[in-house]
Amino acid sequence: MAETRTSRILVVDDEGSVLMTYRMILERQGYDVTACRTSRDAISAIEKNSFDLVLCDYSLEEQHTGFEVIAAARKRDSAVPAALLTGYATMDTADEASLQNIGIMFKPIEIEEFLATTSKLLRRENEPKQENGEKARRTKTGD
Amino acid sequence: MATAEIRFQPQRVNGRQKTQQRRPAALRLLQAERSEEIFPLLLEEVIALGYPRAMVLDINFDTGDVTPAAALKWPRQQIPNFAAALWMSEHPLITVLHTARPAVLAKTPLHSRPIYVHPILYSNRNLCWEADRVRSVSCLAVQNFNREKRIRLEDQVCSTCEMRSYAAVVVVELTRNNSEARLAELGELIELANRYLSRLFKVEHYYNRMRDMEVTIAQMGTVMQSMADPVILTDTQHRVIMQNKAAERFFKVPDEMTEGLVRAVELNNLLFSAALSSMLVSGSDAHRDLTLVDAIEGEEMLFEAVSAPTYGPEGIQIGTVTVMRDVTDLRRADQELRLNYDKLSGAEEVVRQDRDRLNLIIENVGDPIVVCDSQARIVLVDPLAQELFGSSLDVARDAQQIKNQNALATYVTAFTYSVAEKETAPLRLYNTTQKQEIEYDARSGKIFNERGQVSYTVTVLRDLTALRRVEQLRVERRMLEIEKFAATGRLAATLAHEVNNPMEAIKNAIYLMAGSLPENTQPVYNILKSETERVARIVRQMLGLYRNTEQVKPVNVNTLVEDTLLLLTRQLQRANVEVITDLRPLPDAIIAADQIRQVLSNIVINARDAMPSGGKLRIRTRHIPGRDDLHGWVRIIIADSGTGIPQEMMRTIFEPFVTTKGEKGTGLGLWIVKGIIQNHAGKLVVRSRVDHGTVFKIDLPVVKL
Repeated sequence: MAETRTSRILVVDDEGSVLMTYRMILERQGYDVTACRTSRDAISAIEKNSFDLVLCDYSLEEQHTGFEVIAAARKRDSAVPAALLTGYATMDTADEASLQNIGIMFKPIEIEEFLATTSKLLRRENEPKQENGEKARRTKTGD
Repeated sequence: MATAEIRFQPQRVNGRQKTQQRRPAALRLLQAERSEEIFPLLLEEVIALGYPRAMVLDINFDTGDVTPAAALKWPRQQIPNFAAALWMSEHPLITVLHTARPAVLAKTPLHSRPIYVHPILYSNRNLCWEADRVRSVSCLAVQNFNREKRIRLEDQVCSTCEMRSYAAVVVVELTRNNSEARLAELGELIELANRYLSRLFKVEHYYNRMRDMEVTIAQMGTVMQSMADPVILTDTQHRVIMQNKAAERFFKVPDEMTEGLVRAVELNNLLFSAALSSMLVSGSDAHRDLTLVDAIEGEEMLFEAVSAPTYGPEGIQIGTVTVMRDVTDLRRADQELRLNYDKLSGAEEVVRQDRDRLNLIIENVGDPIVVCDSQARIVLVDPLAQELFGSSLDVARDAQQIKNQNALATYVTAFTYSVAEKETAPLRLYNTTQKQEIEYDARSGKIFNERGQVSYTVTVLRDLTALRRVEQLRVERRMLEIEKFAATGRLAATLAHEVNNPMEAIKNAIYLMAGSLPENTQPVYNILKSETERVARIVRQMLGLYRNTEQVKPVNVNTLVEDTLLLLTRQLQRANVEVITDLRPLPDAIIAADQIRQVLSNIVINARDAMPSGGKLRIRTRHIPGRDDLHGWVRIIIADSGTGIPQEMMRTIFEPFVTTKGEKGTGLGLWIVKGIIQNHAGKLVVRSRVDHGTVFKIDLPVVKL
């Protein structure tokens, strides 16, 4: 019954043009996409809505990072899948990401890879929830 | 004669033979067996002829004395009157003797009555044995017999046999009837007696000689036997005629026969015979070294054989006398001496060569060399060291040299009393050429005496300033290179980062444009797409180098090689590249596997591109054990048989954006390879020959966790 609902994806990137193309690509795939340019916008969007996936640029405006946005999303839904989109990552960043079960996609990202990773992360988000029935509950409330 | 016999009959009645007829004088004389018996018989026969008295005087050629030897019927007191000497030329008897003919002396001061004087001499019709042997006729006996020449009393020794003749004078007192016939009868009797006497004399002479020879032979035999050296007399056929006891040891089959001994003796005889033959050929007084086996002791002995020929009466060689001297010890000593001499001269040659070589080395070392004794006093300096310390013989006058000497003495003293056999230490000395104090690298060694005490120390001083300068330059250049590389990397990374986002947007936009474009714009779209992808590749590679996202962990490099080849198999096959691997067991290396995979794939792809018409790609891995406490290195060698890298490009291949592949390449492959290897503290070496191929050698440190 839940399969009819489109997945909600939050995309965050401080570069407007990049953000726009990501949103258009994902929308063309039929996802419900919310696009934010700053961490502040993103966090307020998270407060308003729940998302099935968070794709977030690592370096955001000023000294903010994608980790803050993901942390906010996980505060609301601790199991929400997330991935960092970045051109450059230090060892610490990579370690931190893997520790928090956050995927990394390196820019420039092949579009095929981008789409494959996105759908994979969404599947991961769906599968465990079907088992414990939480997905059904949340689907209803989120609808 | 018959009358005489009758006349003397009454006298004989008083003698031994009363009834028997008196036998003729010749037969009576023949009865004599010894020469001494002749004179008494003669005197008896003279008296029997009717003469009143007769006497024989013997002549001693040695003393010249003429003394009465036998007398018959002569009054004892008258006999000494006749004694004379050969030198008394006026003496009636001597006068007659010199004539060598019988004479009648009617009146002499010797006797009151007339006397008949008859000299007799050793004479013989036949030649003596010696003269006969040598076929000479100069035999005294024959000469006397023939009375060929005037007999000289002072010359009565045979020139051939050296036999001394005898001479005597028979004196007979005459009666009144001294007719010619009677005197002739008397003379014949005396001559007959002399003939018998001569024969007996000759026989006795040879008898005596034989006896003497017997003695001589016995003596010689004793001498020969008592000689410790083997003496052998052989005939012309080299058959042994005579040998002494010492020789028998070697050449006579012993009583206790064993096969070995018999063979030894046979061999000795053979060797000896061969030696004789060769000596005979080479000359008369030849000598040869001869090794013989002692048949009794079984020992080998070395002899020096000296041979001399022996000659028969006709002067023909009848044999050889060989005396052998035992030179075993002598030769051994000689050989040892020679060997020692050779050894010594060899050693001397070696020492000389060593010294020459050493001098050559010292002259060419180009560094100052100082030899000090156990008290750290300078004993020897080479010309370069002389500049630093002054000559060892002179007293250094230069203040700097004195200072240098003190510095050296301090250092050498410490080294001499240290336990170290070798030492390398810095030593600051004033260099007169550079006019400043510089640091030398002093390398010292000890020379010990036979008691193990230090007798000398040798110190080579190396001016390190030049070396240091070169080393520093090299380090600086390397630092600069690394810095340059890092700076380039940083710049590239910044650039890439800045380009990254706009390019991401462009790329995404192009993707979104697909399918919504008019047909005729499709080629333009394609260009846009492929070129954007190229830019994206460049940026990705550049940023990839700085994406230190991967955890390093122990990895077997062989697995990475196999993974990489597996991924590229189809590409390589398509390019007709034959892959030959030789992967030896390796320890795990602590590396970032993805990065090393990137390195391998970059190099392999380059190799494939370098072989447009196919070729061979060889990949080898080896563990190179560390020399110190390190765990060594993992070595990866990737060699292709491709076009090679031109010499002028070798310096720039690791710089970014350098490519030989035109638009196909990013020019970043090797730049990234170098960066990754440097990040791993590894080493990268490239060798290449145009038209032969390129070899990449990568060494990664094996670090144990």
